[in-house]
Amino acid sequence: MSCKICGRRAKSRFCDRHEEAYSSLLRTYEDWRRAMKISWTDYLKEVSENPYAGIWVKEVAAHLLNSDGH
Amino acid sequence: MKALLLCEKPSAARRIARALDEEGKPAERKIGRVPYYEAERDGKMLIVVPALGHLYTVAPKVRDRNVYPVFDFEWVPRHLAERDAKEIGEWIEAISLLSKGADEFILATDYDIEGATLGYTILKYACGGKEKEAKRMKFSTLTTSELRESYASLLRSIEFPMIEAGICRHLLDAIYGINLSRAMTIAAKRWSGKYATLSTGRVQGPTLKFLTDRERQISCFVPVPFWRINAKVEMDGQIFDVEYEQKTIKTQAEAARIVEECRGKRGRIEKVEVREFRQKPPVPFDLGALQREAYSLFKYTPRRTANIAERLYLEALISYPRTSSQRLPRTIDYRAILKSLRREPKYRELSEVLLDKETLTPNEGKGYDPAHPAVYPTGNLPERRLSVPERRLWDLIVRRFMAVFGDPAVKQSVRVSIAVDGHIFYLRGRRVLEEGWMLFYRPYIQVEDVILPPLEEGQTVNFKEVSWEKGFTKPPARYNPSSLLKRMEDEGIGTKATRAEIIDTLYTRGYVSGERAVVSELGLDVIDILSRYCPEVISVEFTRDLERSMEMIQNGGERMEAVIEKAIERLRPVLLRLKENEKQIGRELSEAIRKTQMKKRMLGGCPVCGTGQLIILRSRKSGKRFVGCTNFFKGLCKTSFPLPQRGILTPAGRACGECGFPMIRFKLKGRRPLTFCVNSNCPGKKRNPR
Repeated sequence: MSCKICGRRAKSRFCDRHEEAYSSLLRTYEDWRRAMKISWTDYLKEVSENPYAGIWVKEVAAHLLNSDGH
Repeated sequence: MKALLLCEKPSAARRIARALDEEGKPAERKIGRVPYYEAERDGKMLIVVPALGHLYTVAPKVRDRNVYPVFDFEWVPRHLAERDAKEIGEWIEAISLLSKGADEFILATDYDIEGATLGYTILKYACGGKEKEAKRMKFSTLTTSELRESYASLLRSIEFPMIEAGICRHLLDAIYGINLSRAMTIAAKRWSGKYATLSTGRVQGPTLKFLTDRERQISCFVPVPFWRINAKVEMDGQIFDVEYEQKTIKTQAEAARIVEECRGKRGRIEKVEVREFRQKPPVPFDLGALQREAYSLFKYTPRRTANIAERLYLEALISYPRTSSQRLPRTIDYRAILKSLRREPKYRELSEVLLDKETLTPNEGKGYDPAHPAVYPTGNLPERRLSVPERRLWDLIVRRFMAVFGDPAVKQSVRVSIAVDGHIFYLRGRRVLEEGWMLFYRPYIQVEDVILPPLEEGQTVNFKEVSWEKGFTKPPARYNPSSLLKRMEDEGIGTKATRAEIIDTLYTRGYVSGERAVVSELGLDVIDILSRYCPEVISVEFTRDLERSMEMIQNGGERMEAVIEKAIERLRPVLLRLKENEKQIGRELSEAIRKTQMKKRMLGGCPVCGTGQLIILRSRKSGKRFVGCTNFFKGLCKTSFPLPQRGILTPAGRACGECGFPMIRFKLKGRRPLTFCVNSNCPGKKRNPR
């Protein structure tokens, strides 16, 4: 199986790098929700434009925004 | 009687010969291109001959570079094992010839593990087995007085336990470095058919792991929003910034509530806390601290600082810089050094302040080195005009030396608590009451006083401005060459002599780039692969364990053969695993090399088509370099621009402010780099054609 984002070897839909970034996105959503009552989609948009967000995180956020049923 | 004195470098040999010759004028001779000196002392002829650093190296007995694992190694002349060491053969021949007429052998190389090891191999292999009878000069500076004293009190033998530890280090580095690097290079070459030098090693692997761990944290970082309260108060007609009691507020609603409750109100001073504290002088420089300070002040890489310090040592301006010591033993005549430095106008007044003290006691650190004291100025003044970097580093070392004898600095901090409607704000002030040691180190410390007007508890103040500001948490900082060196020191991997070089290798191999060490795809993949197939070779514990064993050899607690055997036993299954998975490893490495090389050529988005990337290409017809769009191959975009055909071109990583096309960095050897816009029709270029 290959990663949906970068094509590297993957056990599930993402490679280990993007999987780690995805977990980080999921984990931090709670903090954002507590801080400013934000929807998942808006959160992904905010993260993908934030200058401090990591490159893999941005790639995952962009992928999720572009895919159906994120 | 004729004695052969073996030195580490030509400049050291010249200085030693001059110091030991009774008239200070040794005869300079040459065998081919190899210089040597004839000096006379106490009726004895001294032949002072330099090496060129190591003349011998450890190499596998099997010469074929495509074979691994290899565990049989031998010492061979460097020119037989390394392509860029052709002059070494001539050097060995000259030393060999000079050794034939000598009755006595004296080793005068640097007194440390490398100096001892290189001397040992020359005495053994080039001088025909004279290592057991050789005597040793031990010195920490190349000043005439210390060299003469050292010659008058020669050590009876060279330092064999240190040499055994040195040989062990060379063998271990070769066994690990050569085998692991070959395994990766061969795997990639067999898969792609292209050669690319890949390397890892006993210390290089764990060091790269520190960098990739940090890179992963940064790449997976999700910032979290927070809010800050900004406020200003007016006192005696002056405006001061005040801090809210909580540095960060977690929700926007709470931040808005705080602002609402404080805006336009008057605050009351609840408490004025004044604290005085003494700040001790800094400790003398060891090599690591000198490298870190030079990086923070002048942005010199650790390698550059080590090279400059080495030159200052060879000019007898400073003591031996490769030291872990933070101590200045009493045997060093501090007063004589200060008296000598007083001859330099800029140090005159400072030296006199210290010389007026009844006693001079340095503030020393914990770092200890049995071979050398901390880095200190010898008191000699430069005999030639120093280059700017040399002058800066020498000044830093002189001022640090003076500062360690200074009195503690006395500082005052003030914290004023201002209450407003149940909230507390802090107003902070600070000032230096007594300068102490800072007087000597002044250009290198920045202290800005914040002086508050007289304030009393119960006094009211006017809040001029209260607002909230949104911020985001930031990812951890990338390592730079200096913080990476510190991490290596803290983890106890590598030595003071090798750390800077290892950091440089990571850059040369393309694993890392930029001042803020950004790890490349290749660097990430090398560590990914090593973590999967042989995690032990990138483990800090594993490397540290070997370092401890080498220290024990030096102290007589361990045998070299046992350490080597243990290391080979650990490495053998690792190499087997790499060999079994060669195909997969080769595929992954080749892909990473391709991506890294591609990234080096990618300049940025194409502003014409909006979807392609501008990339540095080479014409198949003419072989010339140019910039083209990746969409050209799909028949969508024909954007292209010419490029200079000489020099190194790298993406500048930013777009032109005038036209939005990517910028490119151009570097010709010996010239300053130039950054320009790739667009030959850029309006900026038309206005200013240069």
